[in-house]
Amino acid sequence: MDRYESVPTWLLAITGAMVVAAFYFMFVWVPTEMTMGIVQRIFYLHVPSAFVAFFGFLLGGIASIQYLSTREHRYDDLSVACNEVGLVFAIVNLLTGMLWAKPIWGVYWAWGDARLSTMLLLALIYFAYLILRQSVIEPTQRAVVCAVVSIFGMVDIPIVYMANVWWRTQHPQPVLSGDGSLDPRMRFVLYFSTFAFAFVFWCLVRVRRRIEMLRREADGLRREVHAL
Amino acid sequence: MEENLKWLWGAFSLAWGLHLAYVFILGRRQKSLREQVEYLKAQLEDRGER
Repeated sequence: MDRYESVPTWLLAITGAMVVAAFYFMFVWVPTEMTMGIVQRIFYLHVPSAFVAFFGFLLGGIASIQYLSTREHRYDDLSVACNEVGLVFAIVNLLTGMLWAKPIWGVYWAWGDARLSTMLLLALIYFAYLILRQSVIEPTQRAVVCAVVSIFGMVDIPIVYMANVWWRTQHPQPVLSGDGSLDPRMRFVLYFSTFAFAFVFWCLVRVRRRIEMLRREADGLRREVHAL
Repeated sequence: MEENLKWLWGAFSLAWGLHLAYVFILGRRQKSLREQVEYLKAQLEDRGER
């Protein structure tokens, strides 16, 4: 069996082409911002990572609600896949944000900043979710407890997004809904990178979901072997 | 500009390095689980024959 069987070739091809095009747009085509200079281009990695992480957690939360209402394990598989891949994007968002903050603010991290703190809290909730998945042995109990944590984490998403509107923060205001005007070419690259990252997310979720199905199959077979 | 290039390069390398590391981890997990499934299936067949 091939390692990539859970990701069809056409999806890999589209994702690869979109990522290469996104690199071209973000490093060559888009104009350099006047105030921050070249370091502003981190924005095209940082913001799409946050959007995709939010999308992943949202999808994971919806799948958890579906699991609690139907008790079908396929929703639990989807939930863990979306939440784990979402966490990878959230970590990318936090780290690229730190690398942007150092040359612009002079520090890697501002502890009093509401946006940074709420985003870190969101990542920690999903980190706890993954630890919890390892700790609970019984599959149904594990799925129920993790679904509750996943729904709880989903509630934090609007708080993170609105943090720099609700509280005083040095983090830039929301670029899409805020007052700051964005050059149309910058806006295009931002959207394009978000789509490219979303395709990467889709591929990773498919592989991660397949792993969860294999784990379930292995657990079932192990029970059968022990019963004999 | 030259000075700030290292931050951009660092962010770019970190973002894609993390993704590649995650893909590698997923690949290893999948391989290990497939081996487990094959082994358990073989054990089941073996015990069934007995």
